[in-house]
Amino acid sequence: MLRYILNRTLRSILTVVIVFVTVFMLLRFMPLNGYFTDEMLKVSDEQTRMAYLRNQGLLDPPFSQLWRFVKNLFAGDLGRSLTVYPKVPITILLCEKIPVTAAFGAASLVLGMTLGLLMGMFMARYKERLGDTLGTFYVVFVRAVPSLIYLFFIQVWVSGVLKLPLVFYEDRPESWILPTICLSLGSIAWYAIWLRRFMVDEENRDYVKFAMVKGLSKKYVLRRHLFKNAIIPIAIYLPSDILFIISGSLIIESLYAIPGTGGLLTKAIQKQDNNLVQVIVLMYAILSVLGVFLGDLLVAFVDPRIRLTEDEG
Amino acid sequence: MKSETVKNMDVLLRPEKFRAAVFDRTASEEGGFSNYSYWRSTIRTFFRSKFVVFIVALIGMLILMAFLYPALSKTDPGAISTNPMTWNKRPNADHWFGTDSIGRDIWARAWYGTRNSFLLAFFIACSDVGVGTVVGALWGYNKKMDPVMIEIYNVMTNIPSTVYLVLLAYIMNTSFLTLFIAMASRGWIVEARFFRNRILSIRDSEYNVASKCLGTPMRRIVSRNIIPHIVSLIIMETALVIPYSISSEVFLSFIGIGMPVDAVTLGNIVNQGRSSFALHPYQMLLPTAILCVITIAFYVIGNKFADASDPRNHV
Amino acid sequence: MRNVILSARDVEIKFRLREKVLTAVRGATLDLYEGETLAIVGESGCGKSVFTKSFIGMLDKNGWVSGGSLLYRGEELTRFKTEREWLRIRGKKIAMVFQDPMTSLNPVRTVGEQIAEVIVWHFGTEHEQAKREAVEILRRVGIGDAEYRYQQYPHEFSGGMRQRVVIATAIACRPEILICDEPTTALDVTVQAQILALIKQLQKELKMTVVYITHDLGVVANVADWVSVMYAGQIVEYGTSRDIFHDPRHPYTKALLQSLPQLGVKGCDLYSIKGTPPTLYKQITGDAFAPRNPDAMEIDFEAEPPMFQVSDTHCAKTWLLHPFAREHAEKLNFAEEARKKEAVAAQAPPFDYCKADKLLSVRNLTVKFRLSHREFKAVDNVSFDVYRGETLSLVGESGSGKTTIGRAVMKIYQKAEGEIEYAGKRIDGKLSKQERRELHLHLQMIFQDPMASLNERAKVDYIVSEGLYNYRLFANEEERMRRVEQIMAEVGLNRDFISRFPHEFSGGQRQRIGIARSLVMNPDFVIADEPISALDVSIRAQVINLLNKLKKERNLTYLFIAHDLSVVKFISDRIAVINKGRIVEMATCDELFLHPLHPYTKALLSAVPHPDPDRERAKELLVYDASIHNYKIDKPVWCEITDRHFVFGNRYELDMYREELGI
Repeated sequence: MLRYILNRTLRSILTVVIVFVTVFMLLRFMPLNGYFTDEMLKVSDEQTRMAYLRNQGLLDPPFSQLWRFVKNLFAGDLGRSLTVYPKVPITILLCEKIPVTAAFGAASLVLGMTLGLLMGMFMARYKERLGDTLGTFYVVFVRAVPSLIYLFFIQVWVSGVLKLPLVFYEDRPESWILPTICLSLGSIAWYAIWLRRFMVDEENRDYVKFAMVKGLSKKYVLRRHLFKNAIIPIAIYLPSDILFIISGSLIIESLYAIPGTGGLLTKAIQKQDNNLVQVIVLMYAILSVLGVFLGDLLVAFVDPRIRLTEDEG
Repeated sequence: MKSETVKNMDVLLRPEKFRAAVFDRTASEEGGFSNYSYWRSTIRTFFRSKFVVFIVALIGMLILMAFLYPALSKTDPGAISTNPMTWNKRPNADHWFGTDSIGRDIWARAWYGTRNSFLLAFFIACSDVGVGTVVGALWGYNKKMDPVMIEIYNVMTNIPSTVYLVLLAYIMNTSFLTLFIAMASRGWIVEARFFRNRILSIRDSEYNVASKCLGTPMRRIVSRNIIPHIVSLIIMETALVIPYSISSEVFLSFIGIGMPVDAVTLGNIVNQGRSSFALHPYQMLLPTAILCVITIAFYVIGNKFADASDPRNHV
Repeated sequence: MRNVILSARDVEIKFRLREKVLTAVRGATLDLYEGETLAIVGESGCGKSVFTKSFIGMLDKNGWVSGGSLLYRGEELTRFKTEREWLRIRGKKIAMVFQDPMTSLNPVRTVGEQIAEVIVWHFGTEHEQAKREAVEILRRVGIGDAEYRYQQYPHEFSGGMRQRVVIATAIACRPEILICDEPTTALDVTVQAQILALIKQLQKELKMTVVYITHDLGVVANVADWVSVMYAGQIVEYGTSRDIFHDPRHPYTKALLQSLPQLGVKGCDLYSIKGTPPTLYKQITGDAFAPRNPDAMEIDFEAEPPMFQVSDTHCAKTWLLHPFAREHAEKLNFAEEARKKEAVAAQAPPFDYCKADKLLSVRNLTVKFRLSHREFKAVDNVSFDVYRGETLSLVGESGSGKTTIGRAVMKIYQKAEGEIEYAGKRIDGKLSKQERRELHLHLQMIFQDPMASLNERAKVDYIVSEGLYNYRLFANEEERMRRVEQIMAEVGLNRDFISRFPHEFSGGQRQRIGIARSLVMNPDFVIADEPISALDVSIRAQVINLLNKLKKERNLTYLFIAHDLSVVKFISDRIAVINKGRIVEMATCDELFLHPLHPYTKALLSAVPHPDPDRERAKELLVYDASIHNYKIDKPVWCEITDRHFVFGNRYELDMYREELGI
């Protein structure tokens, strides 16, 4: 077990390093004009632009830029924003934005998991009945249709129906409700469909039949055998869910004007703030690797089969 | 009823019936067999549900329309009107679904957009699944590729797809080609992993070992033993990548790094409609409807086909 | 005093399967007596499992009891509607054990929990108390260190141990009836014997009624007081186990017993049942077995026979017992006597090894596998020869490495160490493409699982001629067709089968297709990897006969891989016994059965089930314990102890063996 964790940790670190270097280098491939918005291109001439780039150290060889970035990183300095909040250190920006995004993410993670698992269990319990069909409709809709579309309509219509604010206000708690629900819609579908599938799969296993033969009631078997076994593989999907929420936060934070990192990234992209994009993308990537890593550990802890035999691949 | 059977019995129970009967060898072999062909059963199972027939017909019509309209109609989807009178027109006889904020015909734009978005998605799906199958096959047959490929897979899938797309689209100047590159450069690895696992299980299956023992050359093993078993998977995966790609395009347009503003794609049309939604909600109606139908239809078709191609569900 | 505990009358069970209705049980009648053992025998799909599942209301969702009655202690079980009613009986009064112990237990809960929960559920016992009881039960089923093992997970147990746990779970509530659905089919022979002994002992202690469902007549002979034979959803014969084994009346029972290799005469064809079992989708008129019975009477095709009483304890459902059929029955008996005499006379002489030449020679073969960072030897330093024209059998339990040896010879594994020589040429190491092709032209393989070894997406035509295509063994399409049709006829398949897909065939037919595929290229040497173990009892004899016939006609050499000693005894000239990757003993068939030396061989032989109740009950089970070998100082060697009798042992053991042989 210890060896497994160690092995997994080292591999995650390797992945992070590769992701880090790749993302950093990819950004260096960007044409130099990409550092400027269209307006900036119109007003400035070639020389001022080059001077600006040189000043920012962007004309140095990529590797020395990387080195400098890493050195600064360990000193707690992530560089400064270029255009969105000119000259503001990114660390300060992040300190301000991360708590908001994290709060939303965590809230919708919990909400999504609870509702999703309940819904999945319900769908498996009433398989091929009305509840299951409705649930399937929901899942198909959420997973197939571009999220932007239904998120937009929810914002426009549901907020009117429920008399909730259209955008986010930090001092009005009711304005938190809608974005959190929106953010968890995808996760709900995700958990529901997987749990349903696993439970239906498990249902046909011999051990479930044997448990029934033992004279245990269907309800008891469902709760004590089926659910527990079906929930274990769900743990694998936890990291994917984190990725899901990160993706969703990009849209939702800008739809509701939430001052979080997702909205910041969108803004940074629109304003060509290269430094900011770089840091946020890296942060997201590392967060995702961490999520996957934690998911694997979680599975290893709950599943006695992996706990002892490791992987057989 | 009862007395009748008893009477019947009496008729049957005659001594001459207790003689040896002729043994029929073929009759003794009866029993095991049913008339079965994999593809016939798959297609039949697939179309058994009325809903699937409806969806397939619907999507067929949509795509036909999306390709016929640009070929037959003379309306220019990008024609900007300088006359403010023609801006933001409600649906009328000339413009069935109205015009947008600079007087472009939404009906025409929707079909052009559908065509372009569908083509983009279709190319991406073909490339993802095509590359994925080939790489997956190589990977499945070559254990040495494992460490490298798994690392690539981890790196690629550990980054949220949206963040990856944002990054690539941000770096490159967006156009049909770069968007294609951005999306296609990620999808293949997921498909490759999927096909690798499938091919691995086929490779180690007994019938494949049997073929090797018979000295069957590689190319015939591929064409007879492997491809027929993954064709249904290829179809299914292609159908599932399409809605995903269309969604990605819409997402990128929203973030502001999708296709250039003057390109006619569903993503652009929907986002333009969104910005004027408060005043002219009808502008979003048609493109959104088409978008929903197309993505749901492909998603459903992919999943239903996956079910139908599983022999356990066959009739 | 014999008390009826459960009585089933004309039970009919139907299933709805893909919009068709299938009658799985067509009026079965049965009585269970307190404290006695009944075995229900039949091949797969005959409805034996479904029938017993209806006793506890565990039919699949799409099935229902459509007629008849099931009376358990005065309660009519067919009237049960709600789950609550069933829960009073299921598990508590009537318990069941499944076939595969590997899948019967929940993999993520400890075995102890799974036993304790039944006790808690049915008796409302306190948890601590239930735990103590569970440990007691574990001890009772022969699991040592029960307290420690209580908290282990199923995957930490071996197959036999898991089956013990499953049995422990089933008897946790001291049920009155224990239904064992093929309890030992998934287990090795030696383990099988132990499990059967355990069930017998528990039955005595707890005074249970036990119902066995099995296809293995050896098991039946061992355990059953009563036997009922099922065919196509009906009980066709019912009696004490002596009645059934010594005086079978129904043609199906007779055929089943006669087709057993234990009763066959070497060198002659086994009696084989023709054809395949009927599909239950169709309406069956008359005696369901009639189409496969060459001695059927006309009446058999027209009317269903009633149950005829043979004696107080014995009855059979066949027209042969009708007074009108006396003449026909006498004729059959006469013919059978004649056949038996003929068979004894035709006994083939043993294989002559003096004149034989070596076709395949394997020296110091070692195959290693890696399993999650650990390397283990699947085959460890194995040496043997195969002579032209003989059948050498490799016998061993699952995981002994016997299949690996066959596959190493076929060059399926690249990394095998040691020397392999075929017809005087070295074939180990890297071969050129040409050499490999050449080799596969002479060396062919028949696979175990006829379901997995045929490509589902190819027609029989292609499957059979695959080898022909590979070597261009035909001048034109016509010749190819001719050869395909010829081999199809040789394996006894209809020629129009070639345009069909493998899915359409039953197991036996598929295995014959597999054999046709391997033999169409006229190989000299065939490795048959458990070719009959996945087949139904009534089909096995067909395939054994076919293999023997082809061997004679084509002068083939077989390397026969099997776990079933009775089949091996019938088919082979020499036998090699494998344990844990090593051949521990090798001798001619007769010699091995007469003078087994290695303790493992002895254990294996003692465990072989025999279709004779008297013999089965008298038999003494030997248990092999690997720790009796002390190989620390005195290293074991592979030694030819007498002519062509090899055994694996160290100097001390060899001396002992010599003493045993009297030399």
